[in-house]
Amino acid sequence: MSTGGDFLFIVSSMFALGGAVGTVLAKSPLRAAMSLLLTIISLAGIFLTLHAHLLAAIQLIVYAGAVVVLFVFVIMLLGPESTTPAGEFRGLMTRTASAAIAAIVTGGMAFSLVRTSMPYVNIHQCPEGAECGQFGGVVGLGSELYSNSVVPFELISVLLTVAIVGSIAIARGRTQAEAKEVRERRAARAAGDADQAAREAKLTAEVSAHGGH
Amino acid sequence: MDFANIADKALLWIVLLPLFGAVINGVFGRFADKSMVTLVGVGSVAGAFVLSLFSFFHLVGLKGALGDDVAITNEVYHWFSLYLGSSEIPINVTFVFDSLSGIMAMVVTGIGLLIHIYSIEYMADDPGYARFFTYLNLFMASMLILIFGSSMPVMFVGWEGVGLCSYLLIGFWYENGSYAAAGKKAFIVNRIGDFGVLLGMFVLMMATRSLEFDDINAAASSLGTPFYFGTFELGATATVASLLLFLGCTGKSAQIPLFVWLPDAMAGPTPVSALIHAATMVTSGVYLACRLSPVFMESATAMAVIAVVGALTALVAASIALVQNQMKRILAYSTVSQLGFMFAAVGTGAFTAGIFHVYTHAFFKACLFLGAGAVMHAVHAHGDADVRKLGGLRTKLPVIHWTFLVSCLAISGFPLFSGWFSKDEILLGAINATMFWEQAWLGWLVYVILVAAATMTAFYMFRLYFLVFWGTYRSAKVEVEAEEDSSPGASIPPPGHEDDHGYDPNPHRPHAAIAGVLSVLGVGAIVAGTVNLEPLLHLLHVHVDIAGAENGNIWGTWLSGTVVHFVPAGEGVGALSYLAAVGGTLATATGIGLAYVWYFKEGRMPMAQVTGFAKVLMNKWYVDEFYDATIVRGSKALAVFAAAIDKYLIDGILARASALGVSLISWLATRPQNGVMHSYAALMVVGLAVIGWWFTHPHTNLDGVATRSDVTWTTGRGLGYEYRWDIDDDGEADTEWSAEGNSASHTYGHDDWVGYALIFDGNRTGESEEIFLDDSVVVLTESDIGRGWEADPEAGTTPPSFRVDEDEIVFLKNDARARVRGGDAEVEERLHPGDTVQVGSLNVRIGAVVRASLEVRNSFGNVARDTSEVVIQPAPRTREVAALEAVPATQGGAR
Amino acid sequence: MGIEIGLGEYLALASVIFGIGAMGFLTRRNMLIQLMSIELMLNSVNVMLVAFNRYMPENHTGQIFAFFVIAVAAAEAAVGLAIVISLFRLKQTVETDKADALRH
Repeated sequence: MSTGGDFLFIVSSMFALGGAVGTVLAKSPLRAAMSLLLTIISLAGIFLTLHAHLLAAIQLIVYAGAVVVLFVFVIMLLGPESTTPAGEFRGLMTRTASAAIAAIVTGGMAFSLVRTSMPYVNIHQCPEGAECGQFGGVVGLGSELYSNSVVPFELISVLLTVAIVGSIAIARGRTQAEAKEVRERRAARAAGDADQAAREAKLTAEVSAHGGH
Repeated sequence: MDFANIADKALLWIVLLPLFGAVINGVFGRFADKSMVTLVGVGSVAGAFVLSLFSFFHLVGLKGALGDDVAITNEVYHWFSLYLGSSEIPINVTFVFDSLSGIMAMVVTGIGLLIHIYSIEYMADDPGYARFFTYLNLFMASMLILIFGSSMPVMFVGWEGVGLCSYLLIGFWYENGSYAAAGKKAFIVNRIGDFGVLLGMFVLMMATRSLEFDDINAAASSLGTPFYFGTFELGATATVASLLLFLGCTGKSAQIPLFVWLPDAMAGPTPVSALIHAATMVTSGVYLACRLSPVFMESATAMAVIAVVGALTALVAASIALVQNQMKRILAYSTVSQLGFMFAAVGTGAFTAGIFHVYTHAFFKACLFLGAGAVMHAVHAHGDADVRKLGGLRTKLPVIHWTFLVSCLAISGFPLFSGWFSKDEILLGAINATMFWEQAWLGWLVYVILVAAATMTAFYMFRLYFLVFWGTYRSAKVEVEAEEDSSPGASIPPPGHEDDHGYDPNPHRPHAAIAGVLSVLGVGAIVAGTVNLEPLLHLLHVHVDIAGAENGNIWGTWLSGTVVHFVPAGEGVGALSYLAAVGGTLATATGIGLAYVWYFKEGRMPMAQVTGFAKVLMNKWYVDEFYDATIVRGSKALAVFAAAIDKYLIDGILARASALGVSLISWLATRPQNGVMHSYAALMVVGLAVIGWWFTHPHTNLDGVATRSDVTWTTGRGLGYEYRWDIDDDGEADTEWSAEGNSASHTYGHDDWVGYALIFDGNRTGESEEIFLDDSVVVLTESDIGRGWEADPEAGTTPPSFRVDEDEIVFLKNDARARVRGGDAEVEERLHPGDTVQVGSLNVRIGAVVRASLEVRNSFGNVARDTSEVVIQPAPRTREVAALEAVPATQGGAR
Repeated sequence: MGIEIGLGEYLALASVIFGIGAMGFLTRRNMLIQLMSIELMLNSVNVMLVAFNRYMPENHTGQIFAFFVIAVAAAEAAVGLAIVISLFRLKQTVETDKADALRH
């Protein structure tokens, strides 16, 4: 790998790690969202070092351009309430235990994975115009996407549609008329329950009265 | 049509007919008409009797043609197989009709048929009519299985079956609590004996490797060997087996100490008492002893025990019968006493005399019981009839009177009646036994006891006879209340109210069924003895051969093929037989005479208030009380103790402790389920981490298979795995990293050995076993090399041992038999891998241990290392001529 | 540079980011930040997929998979944020501890 690639990896990974830590530790959700944005952009850089140009672009467009913006919108919508009050972290026990678990898992994974080595494949030695030279590019990834992976790709569109409909259904809430109807229904049910209870109580009283003879 | 083939099939149907009768009556009897029940119940037994008769005459024909030890056999089906070590013991349901089982079958079906016919009238008014015939038929089937079974397990099925039917029929009127209790008592006491039969069966199976009677009897002469319980020597196998089987006989045939159930068994209907508890089932112990007579004959000790126990039973039971007042009770003790006679015969080696007495006894005792039943039926006595309330029935019930009289004469041993012949044979057997045992006095003791018992027998039988049939009818003037009991269904006695009222003042005469059956049996009681005329001819100094049998002993000749008999030899044998006849006849005369004088001439009545020794006899020697104080109370105390353990230890501590453990574990297990999403997520992360670790690390699974010095090692495959072998485990890799090499072979030389091992080629359980040798000494135990490994048990019992010395294995044979290289081992042998030693019954091969190690790496760069050892069997270092001669021809050919 | 950057380093980076995301998800109560932590974890998986694909470039399986993960992550963010709004409307808070109906 080129020295430039190494340099980009090191810089990007530093920023990505810093952003990730910031995301997790930030008190304000807005700061967290900004830190997440930093991580996402850094990871796009990582993708570039891995010769995944198209994916780096998608990362920027979808994550930075859509997901993080959506987060920011929601934070704005909720206003200051979106910041949980002080003592927001869990109790010392839970925090220590969770942190320990995560640290052990992370450390173990990193330790066992860092020695992984596979032979470096030099993509640039492909002959001019050959398909392998298009690795990670629009043509390479796009033709793969629309040939071998076309069915999952279409299914993703279904998934996104479902997600949109679901989001609307969850977030929309009720109109005033709907809310009133629900209230009335609940009241009627409660009255019915009370009636039932009264009948049962009467019955019990009768039975015990007969038993008394 | 093939005559022999029909006879074989007939054998099966003799058993199946009563069985089908039982099933049909058992299922449909309660809905069916009484005449249908009678047809099925009696008809099936009649069919069995006809088939038995047919088979019997077929057997007679065969014996004439083929010799004495011929038998009709019918192998029905293969039941199951037992496996004892490597030998298979097949258990076939095979029925055998030979001279012994033939006689028994004739007695059982013949007497059985008569009693079935008798029951038609006797049980006519009983609401349980169909149930009664169901049980009776089931009993017939079981008894016939017991008789015909060619092997001990099949016999045992019948043995248990008759026990079950006995229980069911004793408690036939189960509404009465004491009757039901009598049934339970019979069943439980019999169980004690049955366990003896089972153990005896196992002993014989261990010793002879077979359960077929024929095989056991053929191997009887080898049963003198000691029998070990663990390492403890119990005595000769024949003695142990015989005594265990005799324990079963004491239960089934009501001998001391297990005779207590039989008198109580009279709670059942009288036909049951006659059939099961007098004529057939109780004699199955005698049958078993005769069936295995060669085994019993092997053990003089067991024979002596049996003879003395039998004689004592005869005496004790007869003494109790002297003072009893109930008809059936007297007859019950009489049965116990007569069974004692039979076992005395068995014990003195006079097996044919024992089975002869079974045969004659079946006639006169069935007749006596049925006569007693007929009396009870006539006077409407329920449960039992008290002799003090009877009397003078001679004129009122003449048929019963005459048959009862001849049966009394027969059982008392009046000359020329059937009992005289068989009792004479038994007494003669006891006298002959003075030559059978080393202690001659034992034979005389048995003889004296038997003569005393015979005297008592004659006395109590005629006491009963005179009290019931002579004098005046003492119950005629008692309360008129008895009238109301003559209504139908009255034969069910009300609970707790038994025979405390007067009897019917006008006894009615029996109808055709009862009278006919009694007459047939009465004739049988007179003439049954004629099949063995030897005693008579001997006394008359006549010597004729009748029907090919020497000196009129048709019986002994007939049985000679199946039953072993002690044959006395020497001077004075003839003279001794006079002693037997004189003793028996004198006893009869004394007994009858005394009874005549007391109860006829003087008209004595049984004492109202018994005192002194009579009271002891009245209370049956307090045996029941003794058992109650010891065994019953002992087991109750044990039960209380066990209940306390259950209550305080099991329920109190163990149950609570386990419940506590469960609740503790459940408390722990429910802690993570706290409803907090975060903790669920944390647990999930932990689980994922474990799975991640599993996937990112390689797993070796090194296993080696050795053929002589070549070992093929294999290890598990995995995604992206690469292997590097260090096949001789010297610390240096022998191959480069390679993705293909998950298997490797290597031939190991002498330098590669890292240790030695012993390979057991099939120990007693037939499995191969390896023992790695380290610095310690390996001593072979008896579980490895089997019993009998010692060269000379007298000299010493130090077991052989192995140990490693430098590069050799030192084998010390110590006191064992051992062979090395085709010859006897020296005191100390130095062995090398590849050598074989035979120690006791075990082959021990010397093997060498080799070791290989392997590294596995996956694409994550993680490396796992594994080392494994395997035992190889290299070729022997030196081959000697003797060893070459010892190897099989196939290997010799390769040389 | 003393370090040779290889597959191992990428995987290590991805696992560390995953761990940080997991830690955030486990320790924070703010549902918004928990959602962001999930995004972090998904991103780290993407890094792994793409890195493996770089060393086995015969086809684009890893990158295609990462592409789908991004799409799923977008859908998940949309639904997740809808739930946040719904929760806020119900409880006037975004703390997950307040949404403990499962516990009762």
